[in-house]
Amino acid sequence: MTKHLLKLIWNKKRRHGLVIAEILVSFLVLFGLFSLVLYNGQNYRQPLGFRYQNTWALNLNSGSDTAALIGKVNQIVGKIRSYPEVMAASLTESNTPFSMNTSNRTMEYEGVEIVSDVFFTDFDYPKVLDINILQGRWFQKSDLTSTYRPVVLNQEAALRLFGAENPLGKVLGSGENPNRVVGVIGNFKSRGEYTPLEPAAFELGNPQEHRFSACLIQVKPGVTAEFEARMMKDLGAMAKGWNLELSYLANQRKSKNQIATVPALIFAVICGFLLLNVALGLFGVLNLNINKRRDEIGLRRALGASATGITRQFVAEMWLLTAIGVAIGLIFAVQFPILHIFDLPTSVYTAALFLALASIYALVTVCALYPSSQAAKIQPATALHEE
Amino acid sequence: MIKLTAIEKVYRTSTIETLALDNINLEIPKGEFVSIMGPSGCGKSTLLNVMGLLDNPSKGAVEIDGMEISRYSDKKLARLRNQKIGFIFQSFHLINDLSVLDNVEIPLLYRTSTGRSRRELAKEALEKVGLSNRMKHFPSQLSGGQKQRVAIARAIVGKPEIILADEPTGNLDSVMGAEILNILLQLNQEGATIAMVTHDEQMARKTNRLIRLFDGRQVS
Repeated sequence: MTKHLLKLIWNKKRRHGLVIAEILVSFLVLFGLFSLVLYNGQNYRQPLGFRYQNTWALNLNSGSDTAALIGKVNQIVGKIRSYPEVMAASLTESNTPFSMNTSNRTMEYEGVEIVSDVFFTDFDYPKVLDINILQGRWFQKSDLTSTYRPVVLNQEAALRLFGAENPLGKVLGSGENPNRVVGVIGNFKSRGEYTPLEPAAFELGNPQEHRFSACLIQVKPGVTAEFEARMMKDLGAMAKGWNLELSYLANQRKSKNQIATVPALIFAVICGFLLLNVALGLFGVLNLNINKRRDEIGLRRALGASATGITRQFVAEMWLLTAIGVAIGLIFAVQFPILHIFDLPTSVYTAALFLALASIYALVTVCALYPSSQAAKIQPATALHEE
Repeated sequence: MIKLTAIEKVYRTSTIETLALDNINLEIPKGEFVSIMGPSGCGKSTLLNVMGLLDNPSKGAVEIDGMEISRYSDKKLARLRNQKIGFIFQSFHLINDLSVLDNVEIPLLYRTSTGRSRRELAKEALEKVGLSNRMKHFPSQLSGGQKQRVAIARAIVGKPEIILADEPTGNLDSVMGAEILNILLQLNQEGATIAMVTHDEQMARKTNRLIRLFDGRQVS
């Protein structure tokens, strides 16, 4: 029967061209949508690697003040740490997690080069963000005087630089200021849950020499706005003319995640409408097709097809048409992993292909079932008599 | 072979009720060639549809080969039509998008058979109606007579015991019509039971028995 139906389809290929084109486009759209959704989902499943709840980021913009900035910054952080409501505070740069600022540089180990986010911090950074050290240690006082500048890498950076080798003690780069790896942490997804794992490196800034531009503050749960206002008032009095801007990491995370989810949602809505149109189109085409083929339906019933056999035939025809559309679509779709278009993992593309395939078949089946079951209800005697 | 007992067929719409067949009692033994005649709208085609299990009677019983089919499921009826009955229609009912050979193969698609055996049987049937040289042609490339011969090949490809022909020569000229009748007579001689609806008295006389209908009733 399949061969027979293929012949029937092939001999009517011009009439089926539009349906095949619709299926091809729908398949590619579904493939794109699933790739995006799966990619975001896969990223989302990877934990951030740090805690953002009850954590504030304070930007320390000195404005036009240029006098004794390092000392003032240290006074500010000292004041912050003195509040009983504050659990920990750490000086850092303006590229705090979920902020719009980034800082990166190329790191090299024995010919392997990676571009990594770089975070300048002090000794308390892991305490504030509850970062788990997987190997080695965080910075300590003795690092301030060591020959090599100490660096802590996240797992992704360590993996890309050293592969399966133990990263501890490895020296990165050459020249005047090489880094020595002293510790490795787990994930550090500073751009939000929906971003992939990227390399991150943490370097120690000497609070007595380095002018930090931000402070991360971990407060106790349930801290009120009253404390926030009091703290900001106190700090404002200490740093006259400075622009101190406080933001919640939880809110920044939300905004950052929206950058990933909103386009995906818009794409999904557009795809939804497109697929609805395709579904209605297929439904209409099939209805028309069945009406045009009433004579054939009557004939097949007379020659031995049962009512369910007719339904199966029309659904099978749609499946075969879908197979043709999908086969053409596959030629385009497989180029994405082969040519590394958008550089998504092959596993994402493969899963998206199967999901798109399953969805397009489900869509086609749903669209074909009703008209096909209507075809089965056609009385053979009536259909044959109509001609 | 075919036995109809007290058959009544009523077509109903919301406003009109039409009695198409009224108390038809008919028996066609195996190997008989009967023609059915009557004016237009007298119920000839309806009778043929009832005999061919394409339409259910409103009342009465249909027996095919001694089997009373009123309780048969749609699937069982379809199988019976496929295995026991071959249909020939006035307007041929060929599928224009399929070649002659593929058209003839259709009844065999609803049986368990291999592609090769289907092909062989279809070729054999086409040879029987003298169309083995037109197998790859499409229906649009054939004359009316040739189309009807393809339809006959399709009707006999499954070697059915019964052939039901609804005005098989209605769309053909007299020469072609005679040719088609000769093929049917030949099939009858080979053992097929045939019921043919016709308007042509001369053709009807060449069959074993003539049944006349008028206003849904059997008058002779």
